[in-house]
Order: sequence, then structure tokens, then C-alpha cells
Amino acid sequence: MATHRITLTINGSTEQLDVPSNLTLLQMLREKLALTGTKNGCMAGECGACTVILNGEPVNSCMVLAAECDGADVRTVEGLAKDGVLDPVQEAIIDRGGVQCGFCTPGVLMSSRALLDRNPRPSDEQIREALLGNLCRCTGYLRIIDAVQEAARRSAAL
Amino acid sequence: MAPSKLTPDQIPHPIGDNVHRVDAREKVTGAAVFADDIQFGPGLLFARIKRSPHPHALIKKIDVSKARALPGVKAVVTGDDFTGYIGLYLHDRYIFCRDRVRYVGDPVAGVAAVSEEVAERALDLIEVEYEPLPGVFDPEYGASPEAPLLHPNLGHYEYVNFIFPEPGTNISNHFKLRKGDVTAAWGECAAIIERTYHIPHIQHVPIEPHIAVAKVDDDGKVSLWGSSQSPFAQRSLIAHSLGISPSDVQVIAPFVGGGFGCKAGVSMEALAVAIATKVRGRPVKLRLTREEEFFCAFVRQGVTTHFKMGCDRDGRLLAMENKYYWDGGAYTEYGVNITRAAGYSCTGPYNVPNVNADSYCVYTNHPVGGPMRGFGMPEIHAGLEQCIDELAEQVGVDRVAFRKLNCIKTNETVVTGMTMHATGLEQCITRAAEAIGWGKKEPSSGPNKRRGKGIAVMWKAPAMPPNAGSSAQVRLNEDGTVTVKVGGQEIGQGSFTVAAQMAAAALGVPYDWVRVTGPLDTDTSPYEWQTVASRLTWSMGNAVAAAARDARQQILENVAKAWDESVENLDIVDGNVISYKSEESMSLKNIVIYGIPKPNDQGWTGGPVVGRGNFMPTYVTGLDPETGQGPRAVVHYTTGAQAVEVEVDTDTGRVEVLRGVTVFDVGKAINPDMVRAQMEGGFVQGVSTALFEALQIKEGVVQNPSFVDYRIATSVDAPVEIEANIVEVAQDDGPWGARGIGEHPMVPTIPAIANAIYDAIGLRPGSPPFTSEKIYLLMNPDKG
Amino acid sequence: MSIHAHPALPEFEYLRPATLAEASEFLAGHPEEARPFLGGTDVFVRMRDGFSNPRYLVDVKCLSGMDTFRFDPHEGLTLGAAVSMNRTAASPEVMAHYPLLAEACRSVASYQLRTRATVAGNICNASPAGDTIGACLAYDGVLQIHGVDGFCQQSLAGFFLGPGKTKLRPGDVVTGVRLPPPPKDAAGVYLKLGRNRQGDLSIVGVSVLGYTDPAAPSGYRFRITLASVAPVPLVAGEAEAYLSANQVTAEAICKAADLAAAACSPIDDVRGSALYRREMARNLTRKGLEQVWHSLNGA
Repeated sequence: MATHRITLTINGSTEQLDVPSNLTLLQMLREKLALTGTKNGCMAGECGACTVILNGEPVNSCMVLAAECDGADVRTVEGLAKDGVLDPVQEAIIDRGGVQCGFCTPGVLMSSRALLDRNPRPSDEQIREALLGNLCRCTGYLRIIDAVQEAARRSAAL
Repeated sequence: MAPSKLTPDQIPHPIGDNVHRVDAREKVTGAAVFADDIQFGPGLLFARIKRSPHPHALIKKIDVSKARALPGVKAVVTGDDFTGYIGLYLHDRYIFCRDRVRYVGDPVAGVAAVSEEVAERALDLIEVEYEPLPGVFDPEYGASPEAPLLHPNLGHYEYVNFIFPEPGTNISNHFKLRKGDVTAAWGECAAIIERTYHIPHIQHVPIEPHIAVAKVDDDGKVSLWGSSQSPFAQRSLIAHSLGISPSDVQVIAPFVGGGFGCKAGVSMEALAVAIATKVRGRPVKLRLTREEEFFCAFVRQGVTTHFKMGCDRDGRLLAMENKYYWDGGAYTEYGVNITRAAGYSCTGPYNVPNVNADSYCVYTNHPVGGPMRGFGMPEIHAGLEQCIDELAEQVGVDRVAFRKLNCIKTNETVVTGMTMHATGLEQCITRAAEAIGWGKKEPSSGPNKRRGKGIAVMWKAPAMPPNAGSSAQVRLNEDGTVTVKVGGQEIGQGSFTVAAQMAAAALGVPYDWVRVTGPLDTDTSPYEWQTVASRLTWSMGNAVAAAARDARQQILENVAKAWDESVENLDIVDGNVISYKSEESMSLKNIVIYGIPKPNDQGWTGGPVVGRGNFMPTYVTGLDPETGQGPRAVVHYTTGAQAVEVEVDTDTGRVEVLRGVTVFDVGKAINPDMVRAQMEGGFVQGVSTALFEALQIKEGVVQNPSFVDYRIATSVDAPVEIEANIVEVAQDDGPWGARGIGEHPMVPTIPAIANAIYDAIGLRPGSPPFTSEKIYLLMNPDKG
Repeated sequence: MSIHAHPALPEFEYLRPATLAEASEFLAGHPEEARPFLGGTDVFVRMRDGFSNPRYLVDVKCLSGMDTFRFDPHEGLTLGAAVSMNRTAASPEVMAHYPLLAEACRSVASYQLRTRATVAGNICNASPAGDTIGACLAYDGVLQIHGVDGFCQQSLAGFFLGPGKTKLRPGDVVTGVRLPPPPKDAAGVYLKLGRNRQGDLSIVGVSVLGYTDPAAPSGYRFRITLASVAPVPLVAGEAEAYLSANQVTAEAICKAADLAAAACSPIDDVRGSALYRREMARNLTRKGLEQVWHSLNGA
């Protein structure tokens, strides 16, 4: 299998790697860069645990080849906080009790961040729709929806 | 002015406070380490498992030579390499199959290789010759004399003394209960209901799939990292099976990304250890794919439940005759206790004077049934609470009133003869009914919609051996912080957080000073039986509180000596030792490590403070094998009620859950917000199982082992509103009166929804899941 | 069946040709071994499941014209093959002129998946469950294709031959979908019944587009396509013809729904039974027609 040299920005930092054709972006993050915040829940684009923001839009990183990412900009959960200051979506999800086992949480946060980036004042229904690709088995979702609303409110107040 | 002695209520402490989770920040930054995140370095090998494609077959021949020869393959093992049985309550399973396979997915061989890809390719090179055998796919058939024997050796398996296998059959446990005179009681009944339900298999669907990494050193010492609810049980079971000493097995368990029972006991972890014995010194990682997750670890076994119940014309329950046939799957080493728990709790939370119950655990050629949130309770309540609903209607008694009349009350006798402790179940029912607006019919949202309300109640006791123990350690640090060591796992329920709250309260320090962290490590963490059964807040909490009080006592004795005062006048408040008598105050900092200097440089007293505590119930008794009666079957019951409002679309049959009310008696909510979070999460998991979930199994093959066709509730399926209501009737031996809540909120959800559907469309849906097709055809039987 | 799904993607070569000519030539030269891909959301899953094992995956997203997004009142909408479903659904032009397509796009899977999924990909995947196909058929979509012989066009009508099978030949790369200018004052709805309230594959899906048509005896024309009830996306031709020929009343709508149901050849599978699908085909067609009729009549 040929390898592909890719140069991309991850959480603001430039990285250059040689990747085989069949390596997914998810595997690249976790196995080549030890960015293990992004999780593997299904490898099939169904559970959303692997959600990252790619070129400004949320994707299931298990459904993207690393080889496709030359020149890309990638944001993962590790890049949400700035200098130790949590992003409003992170703060709100803690405050609203929307974290239990924490495995879906990175994906939920990236989907939420991307939602608020494109729609700063979403309705509850819009939040539900935006997050339906992030499966959670612990919380029952209401506190997560509440947290995104809270993050939206706090961001608007800034 | 001397501070007057504060009463326990006045001393500020975090019991009952909605403190933030101790682990929240690391989980939201991605820093929280789960088992697949641990870096093992370039020496890490990867394992894959060759699994049986047949539900039942003899293994005639295995040829691993081609697989062994594949470059990159470091080891290939089969059942020939491992002769020991393994199991929790019954030793009926080998690590790798030896002479036969009993379910599609049964492990036949294992490969360790330099990458998961190479290991996967090696699987195709393993040649296995099978002789298929007729399969058993139904538990009632499996229990009949016609069925082939799946475990001919059942009579030789080791098992615990509270299960009753029937050798020569497929029945690995028969729980029998005979109370009163059921036959005579039928004669007194004004109404009798007889119904049968088939509860399908479902799976826990943790978002984090199973994973284990094992390393066996040259000297035979085992290290096992994994996503585990039960590091100590895994140590014990795996050691026993491999014939080594438990202390030579170290299990390290970081955060668990969802357990719900599937990561208790031993499911796939022994496979990793077994393979690792052949590549000494190198760690071997075994991960389940999501597809394997659906059927190769634990599933929740299906069950056929037969109910017969009757009441007098006032609605007083007189008799129940319940038969449960559990589809235990290929191995029932864990599932036998589900059968038992369902047996001793067979009546649901009701006072029924005459009861016959038979709960059978039956071997089938289906995936392995194991513990899942509720441990038999959701499965039996699904039908039982629909029957109660129907019986009430038959005698013309309001369904809420019927439940309040018959629900078990403090000091009444439960079905096993035990006296019910203080319980707020009746309060739960009242509150649930009130909050849902019982009796008020809401207008539907359209001409093709029908609205309805339903209610269901539940009970559950921690199902565990009578001597399941907890222990804890409280270590004070020089900066005043407190390190609490526990063996109970953080699986998302918040156990680390409430442990911190309880330690803080029992010691007298601010909550923020307390550290409870993982990973759990059987070499260094204090023993905990398992993180199951909703037992940690109660059992581990008692141990933590005891350890904190032990530490407190040591500190007070040290300071009493230094101040020449008596311990009774001293207290620890907010991290300071204070004297009510002399007004003296001393920070805990430093003294808890370095001790207290004597005056005039005459030496030191005290020293490093380490508190220890344990808890083990001492009063659980056995039950008579013929009658199921005994003085104390269980430690306690958590009870509760749920009410729901649904809307049914008559064009499609779709059921939408609009609102849920969930009310449980938790004794004492150590962290009320986290208790409510359990209630909400359990409710939605219950809704998911009610509307969507079933493993569709045909001739032993799971047809829907992926998220594409095993659907769970997503954010758009959660109801608009869930009201979570806490009742607190103290548990006599719970820490601050607390008892467990983790499992209970998903127990009554299926029947609550079923009863609401009935209220909406006048038809009872029966067996779950209540898919739109099922409800549509129920409403339109002429189409079927 | 996916009980044999592998933990990761099998080995293959990722290729990114620089031009359409290069792409078509390579694909035509390796007909059994190479396949083009856009978002990959269908092909990656099939590869991991072991149902598909191409030696070459040819990334055609960046080729000329694939990113085109243009609406012109005379030409209609030119939707490049690489334009994501999210972008399509959020576009003011699509929402204004082809709202049925926007609605169909929004019903697909999750937001994350729709960042990668494309309408062209949905069409080429040719699943009978393809959610956006009904809208494209209703709007008389035409595929822009580049093959070994250069550019050509292919009407969507008759494009689908079976589950996963289309009229595309080796070397063909769909570069876009063109939707002609929509009928004036059209109304449409996509009713999709899944297991979850949203985001699931359809058990049954019904696309209905209605508009005035002076040439029709009834004065109206309806375009009705059903998903997941036949080997291909099913155009309910008889139902459509009935509503063109007969005055549109509640009874006519029911009759059309019956005709649509009769035209189905559904199967039993893990998502639903054939019987239920036929019932839903009828009920949802009726509902869809009622809603569209309601919209057309000034509501």
C-alpha cells in the first residue's frame, strides 16, 4: 500500500505525516498522534463518538481517510479549551450534569461547538437535530440539550 | 466565645449537595483515560478471535498451522491450551471452546499479531471442521425432555450453594417458591388474569465497546488492563481458571465508557489473558468491534414469562402463579443469578399472600446472557405490571388505587417471608400519579393521534452473594487533601463523586479537599466485590464512611493527646480540628503526615493518618430450595414508580413518549442532581428498550448486530420533559440512610408505556418492543 | 451480514487523479478493481463489512466542476457532485426553489454524515432507500456524467436498474445533478417513516411534489416516489396518472394511495414486514398527497 504525505493543521498546530491509504482520520488522531480524546465507538459513522470538526464542519472521523486530509484544518476536543480556560460548551455540560461515563462527551462537544458556530441561538429542536448523530446511553440527552442552550446563552452574554 | 457543639445537621457537609462531579473536567477536555487510550508502546500486540459460525456444533478439527506461519503472527491458541472452567456462580464455560461450540460467536481460537489487520487476516487462515448439531432456540423447548442437551456435564460443574441446577437437563438453575395455598386462593378470586409475554434479547450498548489488554510476564504474573466494572472479580475468576493465585493477577481498570452490567464478571477479558500467556512479556490488546459487541460479550437474556394472578372484588391481590423461562444462552455462569433474583422478587412490589413461582434458567444456543441494568426486574415487570393494570380494570378499581392498595408497605411480609423495611413506595405512586395528571385526559395533537397515560411500579434488591463486601481507605495528605481509595468503579453513575462527598462529610473536610480517582488497581485499591447491583452508594459508601470515621478518630485521638483534652470535646469542621471546650483550632494540614510536636521540643506524637473501613452485610440468609422462604432474602429493596404520557399515531402506529415522571425512594440522596440524572438516563434507556430494541435472532444468528439495525434512542427520541422526583425514607443501614438507584429507573418503563398505549388506543401491546409496526397491526388486525 | 465486519478498512490504494480524463481512463481501465468515491459514507461501511473490496478508491471530489453550485432561473440548479447534503439543504436557492430536495437532504442520517454525504453519491449508491432520489426524480433531475467518451447527460428516469445497480458504465464519473427550473408554485413533502423519530433509514419513504398543470385534465400534476418498497426507488406512475386524469378529491387521493401501494413489491426484512410496508406506502402516500393538496390550495 502506498503512503501519502499529508500536511494539516490540528488544533492550530501544523503536523506532517505519512499515512497509508486505509488509515482513517480517527485512527490517525488516536494512533499516530496520541490524541485519544476522540473516541472509537463503531467505525461505521453511526455513533458519533469520533466527531471532530474538519474544515469548519463536524464529521465522523471514522468515515474520513487521513489521506484525504492534506491541507485540512482539524479541531478535536483537545483543542476546545484555550490556555486552560474551558469553552462554554464544556463548562455548560459540566454545570448541567450532562456528563456521566464521558465516552460520548468529546463527540457531543464537537457537534455542539460546530452547531453554535453556525447557529448561535438554536432552538431545542435544532439542538436535538444537530446532535442526533451522537449516541449517548447514560444521560437521556435532556441535560445535554440544556447544556447547549446554556452555552448559547453564556456566549451571547459575552 | 467557645463554639457550641454543633449537631450533625448543623455541621456543613456535602451530603445532599449537588456538587460537581470529581471527574467532569477531565472528561470534557478529552484527558480522561479509557482503556483504549492507554499507550503501551511499540511492543503492543493485537488480538483477534476466531468465532464459531454455528449455534451448536462439535469441533472435529482445528488447523492453525497456516495462521501461525503468517508473518507478523506471534501466537495462535485454541481450547487445547486452556483446560480450566471459568464462571462467577457456576463453572460452565471454557475460555476457548474445547470440544463444542454453543453459540454463533463462541471463541474457538485466538491470534496475537503485530497489528489488528494481520491478526484479522490470520483468522481466515485458521481452518475449523465442525459437525453441526441440532440447536435449542427457545427456553421452554430447551427445558423440555425433547431438547438436545447442551451441557451434558452439568452434573459435574462447580456452583455456589444458592443455585439449583438440574443435571440431565438444560436447566442450570431452578428457583422454586411455594407460599400459602394458591389453589384455594383462586377460588376466592373475583377476577383472574393469565398472560404470557416474550421479552426479547437486548444488548447494553455501551458507547465504549469491550476492550482488554493483557500481559503475562516470564514469571507468570498477569497484568490486565480493561474496561471493567469488576476488577477484583476478574482477578479471581481468571486466576482460578488458569490455575494461578489471584495475587499473581493484577487488574487495572480506568474509566468505563458505559457498563450497564456488560462489563461485570468476565466476558472477553480471559481471552486476552489466555493469548498473552503465549507471548510472554508483551502486552496483547483485544478489542471488540461494535458488531461483536452486540453478541459476543454479554447480552440481556430473553425470557418467556407466564403470569396468573387474581384478586378479590375489592381489588386485594390474593394469589399469583408465575413461571419464568429464561433464555440464558450458551453459558449461564452469571445468568443463573438473574433467574434466582427474578424468583425471589417474582411478585413485583406487592403484598401477595399466596404465591407459586418457578424461575428456570435454560441453556440455549443463543448469545451469553449476563447482568444488565435491572438484573431480571425489567424483564418480569414488563409483563407483570401490564397484568396488574388489566386486573385492576377487570374488577373496576382505578389502576393507581389498585397499586396503592396492594403495594408492599413497611413491616409487611414480602413473598419470601422477609419483613419489608421502611419504604416510601406508596408515596412514589401518589407523586407519580399526581405529576402526570392521572385522570385528566389531554387533547391529542391531531385527528390521527391518540393520547394516553400509564403508570407502573417496581422494586429491586441488590442481587449478590450474601457476603459481597466493600472496603475503603482514607489517606490524609500534608496539604490537607484527602485521598480516598476505593475498589468500586466509576462507570458514569458518579460513584467517585458520592464517595468523595461521604468521605468529606464523615471526616469533616470540605468536599473540594477530597480526591477519589482511578484507575482501580487490584494491587493497590481496596477490595470491592463488583460495581453492579446498585450497591456502591450503600455498601461502598458504608465502607468509605467507616474509613473516614476511622481516620477522624485517629486524628482526634492524636490531637486530644497533644491538647490534653478528651476526644468528646473535639471535632473536625471544615478541615480544622476544633475544641468545643478550649476554643483551640488546628488545621489538618501537616499534622496528618508529620504528627504534632510536643511542647519544648520533647518529641512528636501522632504520625501519618490512614483510615480504613469495610462493610459486608451479615444478615442475608439462605432460602429453602423447595419454598423459597427465608428470614432475610436480600439486604433491601429500592422501590419506585413511573408514569408516562404517550401519543400514538394511528396512520403509522408510531408511539411517541411525550412526558415521563419518575419517582424513587432512595433513602437519602447523597447528590440529588446525580440521582435525578440516573432517573432520567434510566428512563430514556427504558424508553429505548420499550420502543426500539430487540436482538433479532434467527436460528442462533443475530440479524441486526450493528447500529444500522439495532436502534437506540437518540436526542430526537428523548421526551420533551422528564420529571425526576426523589422520595427519602431512610434505609436503616445505609450511609445517611441511602440505598441504590442506578438500575431502578429503567425497570418500570416498558410497562408504564404499555399501560399508556392501552389508555390511548384501548389495546394492550403485550411483549416489547412496541415498534410502530407492532402497534399498527395491533390496531388493524384485519391487515395481518 | 455484518457479523463478519472487520475492525478496520482493508488495504487499498487511495488515488486522486488530477483531471476528469485521468479519472475516467483509470476507472475504465480497472473496471473490477477501481471505484470512484465522494463522501465514502456508503463505500467505507461496505468495505469494512466485507461486501466490497476494491483495490483502488478514486477520490473524485476535487475534480473540475464537482464543487459547482449554481442556480439560474432559466437553467435551473446545477449541483456539483461533491456538494454536501448539508450545504444543499441550507442553500437559500434550494430552499426557495427545490424545497422538497432540501427536506429530503435534512432527513438523511446525521449532521456529521451529511457533511460528507452528497446527493450525487446518494443517487449513484442506488439504494431503494435513497432519501434524495425521490425529490430529484420529481424535479426531473438530469445527471451530468464524464466518461471515457467525454461529457454526457443521463435522465434520472430509468437510471436505476436494481439495488445498487445503475446505468453507469466503467469510467463514468457523475460530475453533478442538474434540476431544471422547477414548476411554478409547486408544493412538496417527504414523509419518511423510520424507527427513530429522525435520522434512521426509511422503513418506507414517500416523496410527493404537486403543481398546476394546464395540460392535465385535473389541472394538476403530482410526482410520487416511494423509497424502500421495491428494488429501486419506485415512481408510482399509475397513481400519478390517476391524479392527472381525475379531479383531485379526497376519494381520488385515497384511490391514488391505493394504486401506489399496489405498485410496491416490498420485502420482509429486519426493519419491517412487506405487509406493513405496503400499508405505510398507502397511508403515507395519502398523507403526503393531502398535505401537498392542502398547500396548493392556499393554506
